[in-house]
Amino acid sequence: MAVSLMVNGMRHSLDVEGDTPLLWVLRDELGLKGTKFGCGVGLCGACTVNVNGEATRSCSIPVSAVAGDEVVTIEGLGGGDTTHALQHAWIEHGVPQCGYCQSGQIMSAAYLLANNPAPSRDEIVAAMTGNLCRCGTYTRIIEAVESVAASASSQTEGA
Amino acid sequence: MSLNRRDFLKASAGASGSLLISLSLPGCAGLPTGYQEETGQWRPDAWLELTRDDRIFFTLARVEMGQGTYTGLTTLIAEELDVPPETIEQRFAPVADEYRNPLYNLQLTGGSTSVATSWEPLRTAGASARQMLVMAAARVWNVEAINCSTQEGRVVHPNGIDSMPYGKLVELASKEVIRGDVALKPRDQWKYIGKQNHRLDAELKSTGAPIYGIDVELPGMVHAVVTRSPRYGGKAREFNADSVRAMPGVLDVFEIERGIAVVADKYWRARKAQAALKVDWDYSEALGLSTADVFDSYSRAAKDEEGESERSEGDYGEAEASADQVVEAEYQQPYLAHATLEPMNATAWYRGDRMEVWAPTQGPDLARIAVARVTDLSPEDVTVNTTFLGGGFGRRLTQDYIEEVAAIAFRTDRPVKLIWSREEDTQHDLYRPAMLHRMKASLKQKDVTGWHHQIVGPQILNWYVRNAGPAQFPWTPKFLYDTLGTVGVWAEGLATPKDTSAIEGAVEYPYQVANIDIRHTHTDPGVPISYWRSVGYSHNGFAVETFMDELAHQAGDDPYRFRRRMLAQEPRYLAVLDRAARLGNWDSDVPDGRARGIAVVRSFGTYVAQVVEAGIENGAIRVYRVSAAVDCGQVINPRIVSDQIEGGILFGLTAALYGEITLEQGEVQQSNFHNYQLLRQYDKPEVAVDIVDSRAEPTGVGEPGVPPVIPALGNALFALTGKRQRTLPLKADA
Repeated sequence: MAVSLMVNGMRHSLDVEGDTPLLWVLRDELGLKGTKFGCGVGLCGACTVNVNGEATRSCSIPVSAVAGDEVVTIEGLGGGDTTHALQHAWIEHGVPQCGYCQSGQIMSAAYLLANNPAPSRDEIVAAMTGNLCRCGTYTRIIEAVESVAASASSQTEGA
Repeated sequence: MSLNRRDFLKASAGASGSLLISLSLPGCAGLPTGYQEETGQWRPDAWLELTRDDRIFFTLARVEMGQGTYTGLTTLIAEELDVPPETIEQRFAPVADEYRNPLYNLQLTGGSTSVATSWEPLRTAGASARQMLVMAAARVWNVEAINCSTQEGRVVHPNGIDSMPYGKLVELASKEVIRGDVALKPRDQWKYIGKQNHRLDAELKSTGAPIYGIDVELPGMVHAVVTRSPRYGGKAREFNADSVRAMPGVLDVFEIERGIAVVADKYWRARKAQAALKVDWDYSEALGLSTADVFDSYSRAAKDEEGESERSEGDYGEAEASADQVVEAEYQQPYLAHATLEPMNATAWYRGDRMEVWAPTQGPDLARIAVARVTDLSPEDVTVNTTFLGGGFGRRLTQDYIEEVAAIAFRTDRPVKLIWSREEDTQHDLYRPAMLHRMKASLKQKDVTGWHHQIVGPQILNWYVRNAGPAQFPWTPKFLYDTLGTVGVWAEGLATPKDTSAIEGAVEYPYQVANIDIRHTHTDPGVPISYWRSVGYSHNGFAVETFMDELAHQAGDDPYRFRRRMLAQEPRYLAVLDRAARLGNWDSDVPDGRARGIAVVRSFGTYVAQVVEAGIENGAIRVYRVSAAVDCGQVINPRIVSDQIEGGILFGLTAALYGEITLEQGEVQQSNFHNYQLLRQYDKPEVAVDIVDSRAEPTGVGEPGVPPVIPALGNALFALTGKRQRTLPLKADA
């Protein structure tokens, strides 16, 4: 079937089977490999993308269910060629080890901050607890999210 | 490791006038592998290449799986070459003898050995290139080389004003000859070693760059999945190939050694077709046992055979006969899966009688053998491209997934990518072996006079040599591969190091006890096993450090001071133990409902002590704080050391709290992260890491964080509840 999708600001019309999970459409049809396959059932968060403003596990949602929707992946997070503040923080804090889970971690963090620009530590932990990291980068993930939240709130105060 | 620098360094001019520095490691010379260098002929795959347009390429002979070799090894080169590490570009090494890990004589990344084995050779490579550049500049300027200096990629004239970039000098430099040993920078001149705090791969890994095996994309590529026997060793009697082949997008369905492959134009179509596949399995030679059978067989073996002596001092029997008290305990640990977040996958392309493989692998030379084994090809016909690894932990030392993709690609006229599902990854892993430990100790006037440790379980090398033997001797005719694998075991200590996988962490028992008897009763129930982060230390560490806690309790002593007294001759153990106790507030009051436990384990040359503060909240174990002290010798990157120790702690806690693979009539019962749980952000304790400032030779940090945390947590729970848990994983309601 033909499915129309807006991904990172570009409209795509794709000829794929409607039950194909969004993850494989992004990765194999659109070549956006930043979104990762980890578990296939929404347990690990490696495949997290943003659909119409909601953090969504792309491995377990069929592409037909998001037809016509707006999808943002790690590649489009910064908007075009720029790097998102969270990605800067991730680099600055040296968050990744193997790095495989980090696209999903960053997408979950971006969703949190978009809806709650100054979260408490408990709120960050709760928001990030659906994203597994086997290497154990959890401490630096919290530090990186907090650094972006802090700089956003200081900018707001300054304005 | 100490190497004579002159023996293994070679330098030359490469294509288009670049400077190549290559190293031949000792122990590799004379192997007729077809990779021997002709005199004056230089390989394109040197370790270090400096080009005329001022680019520096470093070939990374160890893979990057999160442990930080990409940054750490680059830092060693950068320090001596006198350039910022960020300016060096990395390449992953192809298969070649020069890139073998000298400790294993295989090109593998494991055993926390990367920094230890690279410390001297890589600094020497960097220093040699730098010295040749300086000599070339001195010749141009007609000054003494000794009066020239270098700074950030330039050679500086003795006048301190003029300078030349390395790129301008590389062609001349390649003709320079270094006589005698090249001098390495003294410690007080280091700019990056011990100070470099950034990870060079952080940007790639924060922007979604397609760097992992699973991301490989080739023209015309198709997708494969494999259905394997639910019971290990089962064979397909028949399957509905025709009806599956008729499904949309399916290109082929056929049997390979390890199961039934479905090849389709798209991944999801391959999966849908696989769901329609019906296989009648012949289990006549398959594994049919359950977990209880495994432990029954261990108990029987323990009673029937006292096992091979692995360390014997004094006379344990005598100590027991004259003891006031004999303490006995039995510990059990389950099978554990690796659960790398990137599932097993590989891509292969068979064309023109050659096979090219792209894979996240910890052993590219083993991968080559794996391909040769399942095809008509010889190892020389196989090219292996190593990608970044989405986690390794020992899982990717075994090349089963590469055998699969090679067998499939050999029958497919296009490049093919194989991806395992999470369920397949969990159920067809090669596991950390389940183990049984029988411990006895004699006490006299509260002093430990005898220590008896019987380890019961399999050895991993028996499972591993299959491809390791031929990889060491790749010219061997293929019909001898299996024989060679066996010879590898016979020749332990020659072709391969002694298999310490069952006994490491037990035989190095560090405490001062006069009578010691440590034995291994070898028994292998046939469940596939492999190396799992920290290997034998993961189970022996738990047995030894829990039993030490039991003895402290029997002696009525504080578990920290009890250990301390028995480590008087071991300053490095003592130092980390003291520092962890201090960092973990051992002597201060613990908040209500919490308790502390302590443990110390040296693994892979690195000393780690940990204090765990834990409690039980809402019917679940809660770990509040882990305080670790580590002595890994000279630190290259303090940030990576601390990250690795913390990562090891969380990896160990996952095992302590949740880790258990069980079998029911040969079938693994766990499948995905709901029933094989990993520690989540919410469960994460506060972790503090104290690094000893040491000048000893550097040792690895990838694994040593794991072993102490499991007994330290168990010991904390004992302090809290008064109930000793001797079986893992630990329970809140034991």
